[in-house]
Amino acid sequence: MSTARKLAEPVLGLVDADGLLLSADPLLMRLHLRCGGKEGGPLAVPELAALCRLSRRLGMNLSRPVQASDDDCRIEMWVETRLASPERDQPLSLSIIDWKEYSHDESDKIDPARDRDFDRLEGRGAIRTDAALRIIAQQMPGNVARNFDAIGRSLLDIYDVIPPSAHAKLLEAVAERQPIRNQRVRQKSGEQALFLMQGQPLINKAGLFAGYRFTATPDDPTQNQEVGDADSKSVGGKLISDSLFGMQLGPALRQPLGKIIANAETISSKLEGPLRGDYASYAKDIASAGRHLLDLVNDLSDLEAIERPEFTVAGDDIDLIDLAHRAAGLLAVKAADHQIRLELPDKELKLPACGEFRRSLQILVNLIGNAIRYSPDGSVIKLAVAADQGFARITVSDQGDGIAAEDQERIFEKFERLGRSGDGGSGLGLFISRRLARAMGGSLAVESVAGKGSTFTLSLPERKKP
Amino acid sequence: MDRTKQNDIIRRARAMADKASFVADDFAQVLFPRTDVVFNDRMRSNAQQYLHGAVNQIEKRICEIATRDLGATHEMLQSIGQGGDGQSFALLEHGGLLNQPEIVQHLFVKTQQMELAARLLQKISQEDLESTLTRHLDHEDPPVAQAAMGLLVAQSKSTGPAGEVAVSLADLPPEIVYAIAWPVTAALARLSATPGSRLQQAAERLLVEHDESAGLARKAERLAQLLEQAKTEKDPAPHPMKDGLALFVARLARQSGLTSDQIVTFTAEPNMARFIVVLRAAGYPVQDALSIYAALDSGDNILTAATYGELDRDRSLDLVSRWTAPQAYQNADRILSRDHLGEDER
Repeated sequence: MSTARKLAEPVLGLVDADGLLLSADPLLMRLHLRCGGKEGGPLAVPELAALCRLSRRLGMNLSRPVQASDDDCRIEMWVETRLASPERDQPLSLSIIDWKEYSHDESDKIDPARDRDFDRLEGRGAIRTDAALRIIAQQMPGNVARNFDAIGRSLLDIYDVIPPSAHAKLLEAVAERQPIRNQRVRQKSGEQALFLMQGQPLINKAGLFAGYRFTATPDDPTQNQEVGDADSKSVGGKLISDSLFGMQLGPALRQPLGKIIANAETISSKLEGPLRGDYASYAKDIASAGRHLLDLVNDLSDLEAIERPEFTVAGDDIDLIDLAHRAAGLLAVKAADHQIRLELPDKELKLPACGEFRRSLQILVNLIGNAIRYSPDGSVIKLAVAADQGFARITVSDQGDGIAAEDQERIFEKFERLGRSGDGGSGLGLFISRRLARAMGGSLAVESVAGKGSTFTLSLPERKKP
Repeated sequence: MDRTKQNDIIRRARAMADKASFVADDFAQVLFPRTDVVFNDRMRSNAQQYLHGAVNQIEKRICEIATRDLGATHEMLQSIGQGGDGQSFALLEHGGLLNQPEIVQHLFVKTQQMELAARLLQKISQEDLESTLTRHLDHEDPPVAQAAMGLLVAQSKSTGPAGEVAVSLADLPPEIVYAIAWPVTAALARLSATPGSRLQQAAERLLVEHDESAGLARKAERLAQLLEQAKTEKDPAPHPMKDGLALFVARLARQSGLTSDQIVTFTAEPNMARFIVVLRAAGYPVQDALSIYAALDSGDNILTAATYGELDRDRSLDLVSRWTAPQAYQNADRILSRDHLGEDER
């Protein structure tokens, strides 16, 4: 909020030849003290003091706008200096004829540059994209010229999203206009620096999705080595990710797919203007097919990673209830599209377990995604937790058609679709999920009765409550 | 050849010998200009006239004070004080004392302002332009109305006869008055053989009497500050054809955090590139920006909606924020980045 002080009388002050504030009206004295000045000390309002010096140096009366700032607000003034006579040692009078205060809150709001300054101060970079993830502004630490080169190109052309399985999540979050948290990316060219990205969706004045604002913090490579052990463990000097999908086919496929999906999303959401209904629908199909292909690429990357004998996972301290809420949050829009209600355990409760955070979330997203895919519209998917025999368990129960007893083990096999097709699945999700669960010292099982829904149970080693 | 002519030639030959080493410098500046700004003959002529006028005004006032208030009796001083021809310009010009960066910079800004005013007059009549000044006289906020009246008065004082370059002592910035007054005083002391102290006293009195608040530029800035403080979202963006040149420049300067002189300078640059970036950074809508560009352009260039629309606002803001830094900082930064970094793209 701004406050205009209608000055019935000008605010007056007297400054001597040495720049000491000899006298001042209360408003000026308050500002002087808040700027660190003392009574009778040198005038402490920098721009005002500079104006006095200039006035004295020229031996002339000046009349200029001046800005000052204290703890609470920024102040705009109009100041006139008056020299009593050409004598250099005579005091100079200050007459402030206009005084307007702006609170710092307001200044923060109207000055987006402050955000960027803080980002730079903290060593963070910032990227603005449009709705199709094309970079429209970039300010990253390091090479400035490269910042400019990135303008207009797709975010996915400039950065590789790592680890591979997170790629679909990023695009899913973008499609659902969700905030993006702790997404690791690597520059494709140059020094291939690693960054941790946080993204906030931007909504324009018309209420439409207008892109993302990302902040990127340089990611510590030594830490990455530990965290990304599962993907990039060194084997005889060769990284696991230096494999067919990890470093070669995956990125090569992801780039065009990312572009296809982002552009199709832009078209289908009619962000660029009105479009015939059936065209928008085709674009939606293209985006959907693109996402399916991208999931397949990611699944194949995962498959390649987990089938290596050296594959290990991190033993993070995780909370299954927290993970359940996160996974449900990621799929909330998808569930709402089918009027499916997700019933979750009480958020206040905790169920500590031991497993890799990212992989456990991946399993839950897969389970809930399957449940949504195979449940009738308007049904309920229930997530419940329990702990027994040293294991923390989370179950995902749906009200779908169920799985026949003879098929219940087959669904965990590679590329097993039980004869279904065209539903967006790759036939790898459950296979990967079970392998991941086992790698974390747990298990993934199913109980189902044909026609009465299915219940998948993820069990992970229990961790003692702190 | 008579003796007088001989003497004249000898005097000129001596003077030329003193300056011969600068011929190549002058020619180099013409051949290899360091900027892309084009200075046409009209600008040169206007600058010469303006500088002459400014020196004469200051000289006249010093002589007036010296003879009327301080009792100086020299005939030349009395003559100049009463409106006779000034004498010090030639001496100062010959001595290179007017070739100071701040004086030259001010001359350039004033000359460019004259160019812009001439361009505006090709698109709007003098009467319509003058009527823009009465727009804010009935403003509901009394200080705004009062400031608008102040600007109107200052504007009317500084407008000279058509076709003449008018110089008003009141409109000269204090730094320029200071930079000219002391050399003029020294020249007058030398020409009149009057004791320097009396003329110095007159100069000091001139300086302390000078009231910056009465000048056109400050009146425009003051009104701009009050208008920007009082503005609502419904208010149209400033426009030179609605606000007049001085107020428009002052408002844009205020919105962007730049100085009015910078804004005017930007309009002289090729394609007004920096000016367009300032408009974009200040958030001017496309149609307003195109219209402003058309009003101020000399007619050779076209700004399209697509070009303006494609300008990245964040990047424009970033650039403008760099240009708001003190000139000395910008110069140093530019030299350092060129010499040591070599990769900065500003």
